[in-house]
Formats: sequence, structure tokens, C-alpha cells
Amino acid sequence: MASAIQSDSERATLLVHAYIDGELDPVNTIAVKQQIAADPALAAEAARVEALRRALREKLPATELPAGLEARVRTAVGIERTSSPASWRAMAASIAVAMVVSSGATWFVTRTPTSDDFLEPVVAGHLRALMAPQPIDVASGDGHVVKPWFNGRIPQAPRVVDLDQAGFKLVGGRVDVVGRAGVPTLVYQIRQHLISLTAVPDAAHVAMNETATAVRGYNVVRWTADHVSYVAVSDVNAADLDKFAQAFRDAR
Amino acid sequence: MPADDDKTLFAAVVMPYLGDAYALARWMTGTRTDAEDVVQEASLRAFRAIRRYAGGNARAWVLTIVRNTALTWMAKSRPVGLVVVDDLAAVERRQLQSGNMDDWNSVVDPETEIIAKAEAARLETAIAALPSPFRETLVLRDLQGLDYREISQVTDAPIGTVMSRLARARQRLVETIRGAE
Repeated sequence: MASAIQSDSERATLLVHAYIDGELDPVNTIAVKQQIAADPALAAEAARVEALRRALREKLPATELPAGLEARVRTAVGIERTSSPASWRAMAASIAVAMVVSSGATWFVTRTPTSDDFLEPVVAGHLRALMAPQPIDVASGDGHVVKPWFNGRIPQAPRVVDLDQAGFKLVGGRVDVVGRAGVPTLVYQIRQHLISLTAVPDAAHVAMNETATAVRGYNVVRWTADHVSYVAVSDVNAADLDKFAQAFRDAR
Repeated sequence: MPADDDKTLFAAVVMPYLGDAYALARWMTGTRTDAEDVVQEASLRAFRAIRRYAGGNARAWVLTIVRNTALTWMAKSRPVGLVVVDDLAAVERRQLQSGNMDDWNSVVDPETEIIAKAEAARLETAIAALPSPFRETLVLRDLQGLDYREISQVTDAPIGTVMSRLARARQRLVETIRGAE
């Protein structure tokens, strides 16, 4: 159908939409970001799509479930009234936990976080992301895309800065789990290396080492700014990671 | 598996997504009462098929059933409004030919401003006016937040088709909003 008569510009347009939707892998993300920068037509398309998505998100009221529909569905399938309204939630939660446990992530849910346990899950998040088909949940080189993506997923969206000038490209973000809380992680790229930058609010107890040290074979830098603790993890060399941390701190 | 387990499974797999189910049905059918009927019917279908739920993405599974129910329901109650697949190919071709390539040279800022100023009622009308395959794709992505793979599953369309429908749906909305200004 449509694909048979798809032109190059048509394809480029679809990739811009996919870029804004965070559907591209890091390599394509960077490629499309460059195309947008070079082509005013694509930049205009990107601006339109972002404006439209923002309008839809902010203007349209959420669809309310009509009163009584849930009860009618319950009755229709014969879920007894005697079961308390919260019971399906509890069941859903227990199934969710079961799925997490069976997927091998037991470690995350059974260990309670203490200051010493803080670093481990952050490094593990980086490792897990490297093993996943895509190290990020939202792929975008645009801070204005990445930051809003976190809204609604975690209580506080992280500070997102553009470090292109310093050689560190933003490629996206994801939510990691530390203790029982979701925390925002930004992913930057330098050459072939990815840097995971996890931001944890109110983590005053976290020990700081403002220059890179090795944890399980990865370099780690930690610092605190504005009541937020930052942890940068990467397999890049310590000097570059220090440079990254410095660039992020200096970007104001 | 005893029937009680079916109910437990239904409560865990389907009930959490009743809101999503209703929202999709609402956008697909266009009216509240139709949407309620579709959700009830889809719930029964889901309940009867609950043992076939093989784990994985429960929301996509539920929405797939809701969509199929809505399509059947719409075909039954008002066959005129339904866009069949052959028509769709024509719609997509028309869209391509009437593409807004010329407009791409226009200045960005006033245009995005017009979009930003669009009011809820205007957005809703514009969405409702989309051909249904475009509309469902846009609703699943931009209102319900499904990713391309999930939309592909729910609408039973290849990812490439999902991408082109989504792009055209958005371009159409922008044109409608701009045209109404």
C-alpha cells in the first residue's frame, strides 16, 4: 500500500516522528537529530509534531470512566460483590511482583536500600541497560523531549542539559530502580561509550567522590547539587568521566 | 482451571485497564453510550478468552480485544461509517498526493503558536474527523502512550503502516487546526 510509493522525504518525515516518539536506537537518534539540524523542512515538521503532542497532552481532558461501568463489568463476568474493591489491585500488584521476581530482578525488590547499597543498583542499572536491546526508554537527543518524558513516571524530572559542545551527546533517558523508588537516568554518549547519569533527589546520605573511582570495573563519579545526588557510571576512561561530570556541573 | 481462577485472572489482567479500554472505545465509536456497550461486550470477550492470555503486555492484549469489538460493533450498527481496507489505501494515497510539502517552507513559530493555542473542543473535533485507522493510531500513541510495537499489535498492522498512519494523522490534525484558525 503506502510503502510502495514512499519517497525519501516521506521516509525522512516518518523518522522525525519516530525520533520524537523515542522509537529510534541511539545511532539513528543521532543521525535523525543531525538531519533535523540540517534541514529546515524537517525542523518545521519536528516543531509541529512537538507542538501538537504538547497541545494534546495539556488541553485534552482525560477520559473519565462512566459511573457504574466498572460495577456493570464486574457483574457481567460474575466477579462477586463480596470481594472488596481493592482486591483486584492487590492481585495485580502481587502478579507484578511475581513477574519481577521471576524475571531475575529479585535483587532489586528484596534488598532494602541503605547508603552503602545505593551505588550497587545504580551500577546494576547501567549494566542491565547495556545488556538490553536499547539502553534507554526514551531515545531523543533533545532535552525538551527527554525531560517531559519523565513527568508522570517519577515524581521529579531531572535536570537535562545539552553537553554537545563538550563532546557528550544526549541520547535519551530511562527510569532505574534504587531501593523501591524509580529514579531518572539520563544517557549520554561519547565516542562509542555510553554514560548513565542517575539523579536521586534527597539522597543526603550518599557518600561523595567527586573524581572517578572504579566499581565492579566501571568508573563512577558522584556529586551533589541543589539537594540532588548525581551518579555517573560508564566504561569510558576516568579522565573523560571526570570531564563529563565537570561539564554537567558547569552547565547552568 | 476452575472458574474462580478465571475471575481472579480477569480481575488482574483486564480490570486495571478498564479506563484505557473505555477511552479507546470512546474515540473509536464517538459516543459515550456506544463506548460503554463496547467495553461491556469486550469485557465478556476478554473473560471468555482469559485463558488464552499468555502473559506479557496485558494492556495491549485488552486494547486489542476492545478494538476488535468496536470494529465489529460499528460494522453492525452503522456500516456506512466504516472505512474498509481498500478505501484506506485510497485515503493514504490521497494524503500522500495532497501532502503539505509546500507548507514546509513557512515560518515555524506562528504555526506552532497556532497549534499551542488550539482549544480542547477544536482538538477533539479534529481527532473525531480523522479516518478511523488514522484516528485509532493517533489515540493509541498520543493519548494513551503506547509504543509503536504495541500499536502494531493492537491494530494488527505492520510497524511501517503504524508509522505512516501516525504521521498522516498528525499532519491532518495540524492542517485542520491551522485551517480553522
